[in-house]
Amino acid sequence: MGQNQAAHASTDDVSGDEEFDPIGTLTLIGIYFVILLLAWVYIYYIEFLGRDLVVVG
Amino acid sequence: MHIHAYEKFWLAASILLILLLIGSVTYGAVGPGVAMVADSEPPIDAQGLDEDERFSEPRVEQVGENHYAAYVVAYQFGFEPSPIVVPENSRVTFYITSRDVIHGFEVAGTNANTMVVPGEVSEITVETDGPEEYGLICNEYCGAGHHVMEGKVHVVSQEEFEERNSGGDDA
Repeated sequence: MGQNQAAHASTDDVSGDEEFDPIGTLTLIGIYFVILLLAWVYIYYIEFLGRDLVVVG
Repeated sequence: MHIHAYEKFWLAASILLILLLIGSVTYGAVGPGVAMVADSEPPIDAQGLDEDERFSEPRVEQVGENHYAAYVVAYQFGFEPSPIVVPENSRVTFYITSRDVIHGFEVAGTNANTMVVPGEVSEITVETDGPEEYGLICNEYCGAGHHVMEGKVHVVSQEEFEERNSGGDDA
């Protein structure tokens, strides 16, 4: 469906890809992004730095 | 070239993510001082550990104010000294070498983890917190008894550390 929309926009309207508005994809990527950030914060700052005997040299 | 607004957003977000990842690692190095195991020690003779000043008698000794050195020998299949007793809230540098094959030195559940290579000395410095008993395992396959090769790292209070060190002088 997304492809059809894109193809439609490019043939019908040269400058009109702003009509192509994949808000679902944007939301999904936004959710993935937040999961990535939270996972990194947890893994690095809490799991890794929070462990005992951090190697300092 | 026309770029869709969402496309710009995704580009910016992925660049931001990369910067955050690099930034975290930089912060870890600069702030808490997280370091890698370096190749800083000169090689030694693995067959001649008995004559080596540091490793003929594996031990923990004080080398500075609140700084201790632990000289550890890994062998098939164990670690010396056992247990390795270090004081709490101090800085401990482990010097670990092997007298036979490649071993691992992993204080279980912590970040203290290095390979132990015969002829080389692995040096890692860690900071201890409160009293705790850690398991110590070999994480490089080293022979038939690899799975039973273990040791202990005991982080004890200052008083207990001194008591143990003065009590049995050459124990």
